Amino acid sequence: MYDILDGLINSTLGFGWPSWLISLIGYVLVATLLFAVAPFQMLFFTYYERRAIARMQDRIGPNRVGPEGIFQPIADGVKMFTKEDIVPDAADKRVHLLAPIVVVAPTMFMFAVLPWGPGMVPVDLNTGLLFFFAISSISAVGLMMAGWASNNKFALLGAMRAVAQMVSYEIPAVLSLLAIVMMTGTLSVVSLINAQGGLFISTNDVAGVPDLGLGWLIFTPVGLLAFMCFFIAALAEGERTPFDIPEADSEIVAGYMTEYSGMKFGLFYLAQYILNFLLCAIAAVIFFGGWQGPGVGWLYGMAISPTNPDGSWIFNLLAGVLGVFYFLAKTYFFFFVMIWIRGAYPRLRVDQLMDFGWKFLIPLTLVNVFSAAIWVAVTSWGVADGFGLVEGWSPMLRWGVAFVTTLVLNGAAYVIVARIYNSAQAARNRFDVDELRESLALPR
Amino acid sequence: MTITIQRGEVVEVARGSQRRRAVPGMGLLDSLGVVWKHWRESFRQNRDFSDIHGTFTEQYPDERPNLPEAYRNMPILLFDDETGHEFCTSCFQCQRICPPQVIHMTQAKDTTTGKAVPSVAEFIIEYDACMSCGFCAEVCPFDAIKMDHHFELSTSDHASLTVHKQELNRPVSYYQSIAPTLWEEAKAGAYKKLQGNIKRRPDVIGIAPHLVDRIAARRAELAAAAAAAPPPPPTAPAAPPAAAPPAEARKLTPEEKAAKLAAIKAANTAKQSGATPAETPPAAAELSPAEAKAAKLAAIRAANTAKQAGTVPAAEVPPAPVDEKAAKLAAIRAANAAKQAGTAPAAEVPPAEPAPVDEKAAKLAAIRAANAAKKAAAEDNETERN
Repeated sequence: MYDILDGLINSTLGFGWPSWLISLIGYVLVATLLFAVAPFQMLFFTYYERRAIARMQDRIGPNRVGPEGIFQPIADGVKMFTKEDIVPDAADKRVHLLAPIVVVAPTMFMFAVLPWGPGMVPVDLNTGLLFFFAISSISAVGLMMAGWASNNKFALLGAMRAVAQMVSYEIPAVLSLLAIVMMTGTLSVVSLINAQGGLFISTNDVAGVPDLGLGWLIFTPVGLLAFMCFFIAALAEGERTPFDIPEADSEIVAGYMTEYSGMKFGLFYLAQYILNFLLCAIAAVIFFGGWQGPGVGWLYGMAISPTNPDGSWIFNLLAGVLGVFYFLAKTYFFFFVMIWIRGAYPRLRVDQLMDFGWKFLIPLTLVNVFSAAIWVAVTSWGVADGFGLVEGWSPMLRWGVAFVTTLVLNGAAYVIVARIYNSAQAARNRFDVDELRESLALPR
Repeated sequence: MTITIQRGEVVEVARGSQRRRAVPGMGLLDSLGVVWKHWRESFRQNRDFSDIHGTFTEQYPDERPNLPEAYRNMPILLFDDETGHEFCTSCFQCQRICPPQVIHMTQAKDTTTGKAVPSVAEFIIEYDACMSCGFCAEVCPFDAIKMDHHFELSTSDHASLTVHKQELNRPVSYYQSIAPTLWEEAKAGAYKKLQGNIKRRPDVIGIAPHLVDRIAARRAELAAAAAAAPPPPPTAPAAPPAAAPPAEARKLTPEEKAAKLAAIKAANTAKQSGATPAETPPAAAELSPAEAKAAKLAAIRAANTAKQAGTVPAAEVPPAPVDEKAAKLAAIRAANAAKQAGTAPAAEVPPAEPAPVDEKAAKLAAIRAANAAKKAAAEDNETERN
């Protein structure tokens, strides 16, 4: 954005404005765009989810408002705005008011490091990933505030569950990302995407593969396992089924949102769907190359960029459109997978949720971190790093050896951990049944 | 794999082959596959319920639901298209069975006689409390009450849900259009019973009241029939001319009936009396006053003779027997008196004629009685002398 504005204002128009002004204009423009786009993503997602889940349940879904019901979220939004805002008498009014803001604000912050297309990132922080996940966990504070301030037992239960779940699932999410960070050697989201060029083999591992923008990390065993763990953790963080226990409507009304109505409730709703969008987007960015895809890298090579200031703006536009298309296609696909999972699986119990996070995902991600270390060692270490064994191998051979080793390691780890987990759960179920039988004094 | 299920036991059923289960998480993928298939197939309409996939949704206001024939919503009353006659006979079966008791009816009455007619004057169903159980339609012996398919009954006017006969009436053709096979089954019996009931409905009773042209046509038909019918028979003078039967289809009023009965009885009596004595003239019933006087006189004479002859006082003379019966009675009494007076055996006394209906017979009887009495008196004198 800075490059385009600089080229437009200073070179083409010749105003000679200072760089801080151009930066300011650029950021204001981008922030305005994002604040306009984010709610529309949320509106679209509500419609999308309702239609998709309806199809999975052999229904049609909302189709009365506008063509195929596309204006249904607008109607819902109007309803939200016109509803009465009720604050319980016993509520802590200030905290009650503040909670939705605290929940929504971090989700908007997270947009700051999210790249939409080539060169289309609001801020390219060199700790972008860390920022993203650090900010996302702030919303847990807002949830706790909401649950506490409502002075309602269901709200408090929901908030407790939400915080416990978020804290538990931050760990596997971050551990699975740790493996990715080890492989790519960067925390910047933009560098992460740039490392995923190539053709089923990342250009980061093997230099010189044809760059079709398909060197996604999902095509490595480490990336695959990391994606599985990350996506499951993302479901938990986004409070999606089967991990929607903080707002389990059949158990605790609506969880921490119980005492909220009108637009405050709407803000929670907004935050939740924007968070889901962001989690889908970051999964697409980290494991599926974000805007990477056939043609984008080639188009962007001819556009105005910091490395190529003499490019043509038309290629900026083309690369941007194609890149945003790839990025959104991947993001919407992941949201479809979330809906798909919602259609297929029932809700977990709290203890099952905790067991799954701590006893299955965390061991698996730890093994994955080890696999990532092997991958890095085999593909990029040398004598200087104390690993002279692979010094004479060709890059392809080193990649192949790393692939097979990590595949075996991760596969074996998955099967073993899953079986141990299964038998542990079965033993626990038996124990529960025995206990139940004793308490009921049933004959054996 | 055989599973023995015992009460209280937890049975774990593992799906898929042993090899598949070696890789954990395959069951989760299977369930995703099930949902995927539903999603993929949902873009196809499933109207015949042939399998569990496909969209079953009917876009209701745009698409009308294809209701099964036996669908039931609210009860309606049927009337015949051609004659306009309602099938209902107000037998009260539906009113009796109705669980929420929302059916009310009044039986139709003949305006001239006030007698009940197998037809319904007013029929009310409270749709607001009706529970659509369909018992009324099931129990109706005349197939007059049926369940409608119309279900869009919501209204802001509560009073309009108390539905009267006027709004309940539907032609048979309507019911045939919503439930053709059900009506085909009921049709023959319903029409047979309806024909029987039409015969018992005087005037225009039983014709759906909104069919004004039908009623007018029926009235005109009745008037024509009344004009063409023969005058009332003379044996029924008591029946009012207004209620005279214009056609054989009409039901007889009680007055007419009574008149008819009297005529028949009189005819029978005449027949009987004419049959017994062979010499009796056929017009025995019509006794002229003079003849009657003569008969009376004869009877008195006979009685007097018997009195004079006998020691026992004779029975009182009957006051004024005006007909042949009285004459006969008088003769018998006279004979009895004579018998009592005399000691002569009963065989001597001529047997009393069963029915001396004419004055001749009466005279004869009186003379015989007198003779018998005289004879008996003479015999008495002789025995006294002896």
